[in-house]
Amino acid sequence: MFKVIKKADIVLFVILIVIGLGLSWLSVASKVTGQTAVVTVNGQEYGTYSLSRNQTVTIKQNGHTNKFTIKNGYVQMTYSSCKNHICIEKGKINQTNQSIVCLPNKVVIEIQGGNSKYDAISN
Amino acid sequence: MMQSQISQRSLRTRRLTMSAMFATLALIFTYVEVLIPYNLGVPGVKLGLANLVIIIALYEMDFKYAMTINVIRIMLSGLLFAGVFAMLYSLSGGILSLIVMWFLKKTGKFSMIGVSMAGGVVHNMGQLLVAALVVSNLKMFVYFPILVFSGIAAGICIGIVAYVIDQRVPKQLFR
Repeated sequence: MFKVIKKADIVLFVILIVIGLGLSWLSVASKVTGQTAVVTVNGQEYGTYSLSRNQTVTIKQNGHTNKFTIKNGYVQMTYSSCKNHICIEKGKINQTNQSIVCLPNKVVIEIQGGNSKYDAISN
Repeated sequence: MMQSQISQRSLRTRRLTMSAMFATLALIFTYVEVLIPYNLGVPGVKLGLANLVIIIALYEMDFKYAMTINVIRIMLSGLLFAGVFAMLYSLSGGILSLIVMWFLKKTGKFSMIGVSMAGGVVHNMGQLLVAALVVSNLKMFVYFPILVFSGIAAGICIGIVAYVIDQRVPKQLFR
């Protein structure tokens, strides 16, 4: 059975694992507690909310409804009119560059700010 | 002359029938996968049972047939279970991964397991690309590392099973 595996398979396996590890290292290395939640709807910025103020915000657009709550520095999606509710299951987040994405409703909540090495990254 | 024409035609008929059966089988696998509830915290992590059928089609028939079967399966499963939007993600992932698998197979350097592994990773990559396009947000790529690993794992599992099945499937079904 194991004779089937060829040299090229193993090379490919190692390369993929290295790419995966490299990418996870990149995402772990940039962990910082954020200060604001930036909400994007349909690719356009919808609003920016401070993490230090507890509040619940309702986003209504194109017949879709999403509700998120900011509490004790964490953001959590609490209601979504979408079917799969992956965004709600994602739970609460507070690290810079973490995000909650609701694909069906095209809503993205992103954490930004914090003591990052860079003031801003242009792209 | 007559004889070869007849056998040529019967081969085409056989392949057409096999493609139809394969598409059905792939659709059933997709359905079975929808039935199994597993949630590993990241959307998009799954086994990809239907890929089993696609890989065997790629090896035993042709790229053309495998592509047709794949597209038919994704269209049907999109209409039946997942919804048109999810169909878009699956379509990009499915087509991209099949093209990569075809290239790797053509080099002749990889076994079915390696081909399937690459297919798994590229499938996830393709889906993520479209997801990032849809929400116009590159931050979607935070899921990427996990999807690379899950793609490797699922690809290897499917590759091993596909190899075992391929050894046992009677070859005269296809030629």
